[in-house]
Amino acid sequence: MRTRTSVNVIAAGIGVALLAGCGGGGSADSGSSGGDPKVIKIGTLHPLTGPYAGDGQQLENGAKLAIKAINDAGGIKSLGGAQLQLDAGDTKGAPDTGQSEAQRLISNGDVALVGTYQSAVSANVAAVAERNRTPFLMDVSGDDSILSQGYKYSFRMQPKNSRFGTAAADYVDQIAKASGHPVTKVAYLHESTAFGTGAYNAFKAEAGKLGLTMGPEITYDAASVSDLTTQIAQVKASGANVLVVSGYYRDGVLAAKAVQTVKPKLDAVVGAADGAFDQPQFPTDAGSAANGFFDVNYHLDDSAAAAQAFVKLYKTTYNADARTEAALAYDAVRTIAAGLESAKSTDKTKLRDAIAKGGITPLTISTGPVTFDEKGENTTALPVLTQVQNGAPVVVYPKEYAAKSPIYPANPGQ
Amino acid sequence: MTITTPDEALDAPVEREKSRSLVRPLLVLAVITVLAALVPSVLSESRQSIAVRVLIFAIMALGWNLMSGYGGMFSFGHAAYFGIGAYTDSYLLVHHNVSPWISLFIGAALAALVAVVTGYLAFRYKLRAAYFALATFAFAEMLRLLATNTHWVGGSTGLHVPLLTADSWWKLQFAANAPQYYYIGLAMVVICVLITLLYLRSRSGIYTVAIRDNEDAANSLGVPVMRVKLTTMALSAAITAVAGMFYAQYFMFVDPDIAFGQAQSVQAITPAVIGGVATVWGPLVGALILGPLSDLTSSWLRNPPGFLDFLAGRSGLDVIVYAVLLIVIVVALPKGIVGTVKQWWRNR
Amino acid sequence: MAVSTRRQLSLRPSPFVATMLLVLALFVVALLRSGSMSITGQALLTGLIAGGVYSLLAMGLSLIFGVLDIVNFAHGSFLAIGLFVTYEVVHQTGANPYVALPVAIVVLFVLGALLQLLVLNRTMGSSLESQLLITLGLSLLISNALLLFFGGDPLSANLHNDPGVHIFGAVANLSRVIAFVGALVLALLLYVLLEKTSFGRAIRAVAANRQGAGLVGIDVRMIYAVTFGLGTACAGAAGMFIAPFTTITPTAGDQFNILAFVVVVMGGLGNIMGALVSGLIVGLVEQLGGVAIAGQSPLLSVFILFLLILLIRPQGIFGAKSS
Repeated sequence: MRTRTSVNVIAAGIGVALLAGCGGGGSADSGSSGGDPKVIKIGTLHPLTGPYAGDGQQLENGAKLAIKAINDAGGIKSLGGAQLQLDAGDTKGAPDTGQSEAQRLISNGDVALVGTYQSAVSANVAAVAERNRTPFLMDVSGDDSILSQGYKYSFRMQPKNSRFGTAAADYVDQIAKASGHPVTKVAYLHESTAFGTGAYNAFKAEAGKLGLTMGPEITYDAASVSDLTTQIAQVKASGANVLVVSGYYRDGVLAAKAVQTVKPKLDAVVGAADGAFDQPQFPTDAGSAANGFFDVNYHLDDSAAAAQAFVKLYKTTYNADARTEAALAYDAVRTIAAGLESAKSTDKTKLRDAIAKGGITPLTISTGPVTFDEKGENTTALPVLTQVQNGAPVVVYPKEYAAKSPIYPANPGQ
Repeated sequence: MTITTPDEALDAPVEREKSRSLVRPLLVLAVITVLAALVPSVLSESRQSIAVRVLIFAIMALGWNLMSGYGGMFSFGHAAYFGIGAYTDSYLLVHHNVSPWISLFIGAALAALVAVVTGYLAFRYKLRAAYFALATFAFAEMLRLLATNTHWVGGSTGLHVPLLTADSWWKLQFAANAPQYYYIGLAMVVICVLITLLYLRSRSGIYTVAIRDNEDAANSLGVPVMRVKLTTMALSAAITAVAGMFYAQYFMFVDPDIAFGQAQSVQAITPAVIGGVATVWGPLVGALILGPLSDLTSSWLRNPPGFLDFLAGRSGLDVIVYAVLLIVIVVALPKGIVGTVKQWWRNR
Repeated sequence: MAVSTRRQLSLRPSPFVATMLLVLALFVVALLRSGSMSITGQALLTGLIAGGVYSLLAMGLSLIFGVLDIVNFAHGSFLAIGLFVTYEVVHQTGANPYVALPVAIVVLFVLGALLQLLVLNRTMGSSLESQLLITLGLSLLISNALLLFFGGDPLSANLHNDPGVHIFGAVANLSRVIAFVGALVLALLLYVLLEKTSFGRAIRAVAANRQGAGLVGIDVRMIYAVTFGLGTACAGAAGMFIAPFTTITPTAGDQFNILAFVVVVMGGLGNIMGALVSGLIVGLVEQLGGVAIAGQSPLLSVFILFLLILLIRPQGIFGAKSS
């Protein structure tokens, strides 16, 4: 449309003028706001306020570190050393705010978007990105359906949710058999929205192939739950020897404490993309109840020098422990930067094609460099199994990525 | 039931209200419309979505104001009607390929029906003030919980309006931030203001205000209290459902929290209270202020001023400023902006 | 037609008995659905214990409504402040979290009283919707101030040792049992304060007739401030009690807001003792409902009960304060 392009130019002009003054202040990058005309903006969309602010901050910090690292290394060389600039948006955890923020960032002239942590928000932003032909990289957002709409401009760094459910069934079956305590019956506890239900369905399908017996499926409302003792009592009554959990952080801690209190006779509690069991602060918050808990999730490649350096840098910069999600945001920005480098252009369609080729070596455990399939899923991202041992979650399976060997049966809560 | 005709005593004020000239408000409306129609040409594209949000706020607040401002039936659950509108539209579009223009009427009728049923129950059991408000609130919450666990409306994931490859008036879908969205929204606002103006001059509208001011007196004069209240509720719900339908079309998405969440009920109330309860223009003024307010505070404080450097890298300040502004406005202007100006005009 | 005649029937069970019959019915359905006494017994205990905290929280809310006519939507945020006060005390001194109880009560009392004196007093008697927006604004303000100063990452203030306590075959954490008992003790103290002291009489006098109370020399403004302070102190104490088994985040209190309102209405707006008993009922309904209506949110049964009570007996099962 004719009018829209002219408005675009004006908008970009106003946007640049407005942002010139306040540009990189929050992103702590090194004076990119000077007279250098070569500035390329990347938009971030994370929940900086609201109930998910803690995770939003992690993701945002990860993106900031990536921008700083790329700029310090000389910017985008194929574009004359152009500097990157982070253009922050706050979704406040709401899909409609996420959508209007996405629109704002695109109108600001951002060449690509990174976000958003919540699947509902990402689904919305993906539609906006598609309509505006702007590349959108999801750092964290697991829901399978986001990328089943045939979008061309959206990509996902983390494995989709169903892969966690499938991997959880495979991994637990394998290590249980190897330990001589096979799985006799699986109870499944999950939060009741798309995330928990999706992981459950994938697990059940895989369990069917493996011949595992499924016990009760117990659901709860993550937003309002304040005690999971009754639910764990249901697990105990079912006689299952493995409990699989898919939930968020707060309810994960509740589940762990309830397991310790009720003491069902379990060989293992295994999270399938659970938001708590693989987090560094989980053993602090749940205390001894956390011991032995497994989780199947994405995870930093702790053995790689790059990942170690990232964790250290994060700690010194923000005085907090980096979580894997921060690394996913970091890698998302690096993927965009690599795309700019090889596209030699800020044209968003060319950038999209370059991003689709992937190529960077991620900080998270993967089977190879980032590779996107035709839907935009990162096929090399690999779910791994962690276990809380000596007060910290460590990778225990598959063997080639493991820092320690799994303790099985883990006798959780004993 | 039989409808009792009101006593002669009521006909005088009714005639007086009716004869009050519509010319001035219509003139004001015309001026506002012309001014508002110019907005897209002066607004940058990134601000377009805020303009559309202002219009959605305005429709919701107009709907709420009719029932709770003029009718005095304080609703804290307008999300119920908003959500019904949004879900009707997206469900019919996604699963039955029905045009939003048709769903608009189905959704509005459905919302009106629901309002009549809930209103009937509430009034029959004589719920008033805070009780009525909490009942509407609980009802919206129930719809939210039901939608979350109902698979044919998408459960917690909700429904996505499918993307089309080309603009379509019939499907009410255009390029992102196309001015069409703004003009359609504006047309809806104008129609809703017209409906409000006309309804307030109708017999039913006049009775509504009379019942609010003194229900017992109105009752003793033979005003069919229940019928009038339900009519007002139905109209209010229908208008709010229109906002829901437009929302679903614009954001192309609806889920239980968005549709039936507490935040949506608050968004129907806030513009009306800020602008002035029981005034025609209050909801518009309030929407105009509240729509951009959170974006303004966000952009001002995206990078906090120097003396707040110790807060760098922390979030929340923008929402704090927004909350303080909200509190200050409500405390300082208890009658709302339009109400306060009116009072000042009269006492001049 | 039915209502008026039914009301005159002498055989009509009292609303309280009717509610208890409903809870019993829910218990039976839960028993049939789960097929296990141990699960249902666990739900019963968990519900009752969770209800104690609802009671304390709701008593504060009901007190504020009863005396000041304010529907306080910031109540959950005051509870969140209680959580963070507890966290700070534990974090700074390394002490047992229960040491924070007096601190939380005093801090929240002062905060509430000041808020009433400086801000809310100006809006006394204004419309329901203005008050709603002000308290909602306060809630936003508080949770984002907490976010600003403490960040959004989850924090904890655990007990060093939190064993399970077995009661009739069911089990609950020691911290939850302490919360239950502590909440009930504080609730009774509040009741004694209101009913048996001259100060409590002054509060009740203001609630019944503020002009009259002013005429006999009661400082109404002060009573308002103290009442609001007492209400928020209840929220602060509830926050402290749940801190040892709760993940502490700025928005952690929001989930209790809605439940507290349900409890208040069920007990009768402004009826303190009603709130106490209703809190326990809501806790029971939530847990038993979760087992009985599997697959739906446990809150659904709570809201159905809430709407039933609103429609059939809006003054609550124990009757509201007369206005």
